[in-house]
Amino acid sequence: VVDQIRLWQIEGERMKATQGFLFKDFTTAQDFEDVARYAGELGVLKWKSVQKRCMFVTRHEQIAEWLKRRAAGGKR
Amino acid sequence: MPRAVKGVLVECDPSIKAIILKIDEDHHHAFIVEDLDEDHLVVKEAKLAELKERLEKILEKTQMMEKDDDSDPDQPG
Repeated sequence: VVDQIRLWQIEGERMKATQGFLFKDFTTAQDFEDVARYAGELGVLKWKSVQKRCMFVTRHEQIAEWLKRRAAGGKR
Repeated sequence: MPRAVKGVLVECDPSIKAIILKIDEDHHHAFIVEDLDEDHLVVKEAKLAELKERLEKILEKTQMMEKDDDSDPDQPG
């Protein structure tokens, strides 16, 4: 599925809207980095902030699966 | 475990973002999910169309004020 991106032309100003999911409340910086890297590899990462420890992704299913698998496997 | 919140990522000029913040404030924070940085924010998907409408109205008004008597052939008066 192609990201649903709409461009709004507003009085010469460009505004871009992308549907997706905001991931936040990561327990550790490492946890955040791991997920950000995975999201980047999947090509779904649109925006991230190390400082805020949150990121915006266009799809969440694979990340949710990955987090679940990791939690079940006890991998750190 | 992190949390995932559904929404729409809006990338825009800081000046446009300032207007969006104002609209949100004036409507009991009905639009914004999270303010990310100076040119990014996440808004509620269901409120996106309404936000766009309100934003366009405000921008139109601002333009009219800037133009003032710079007459537009499409606009009588």
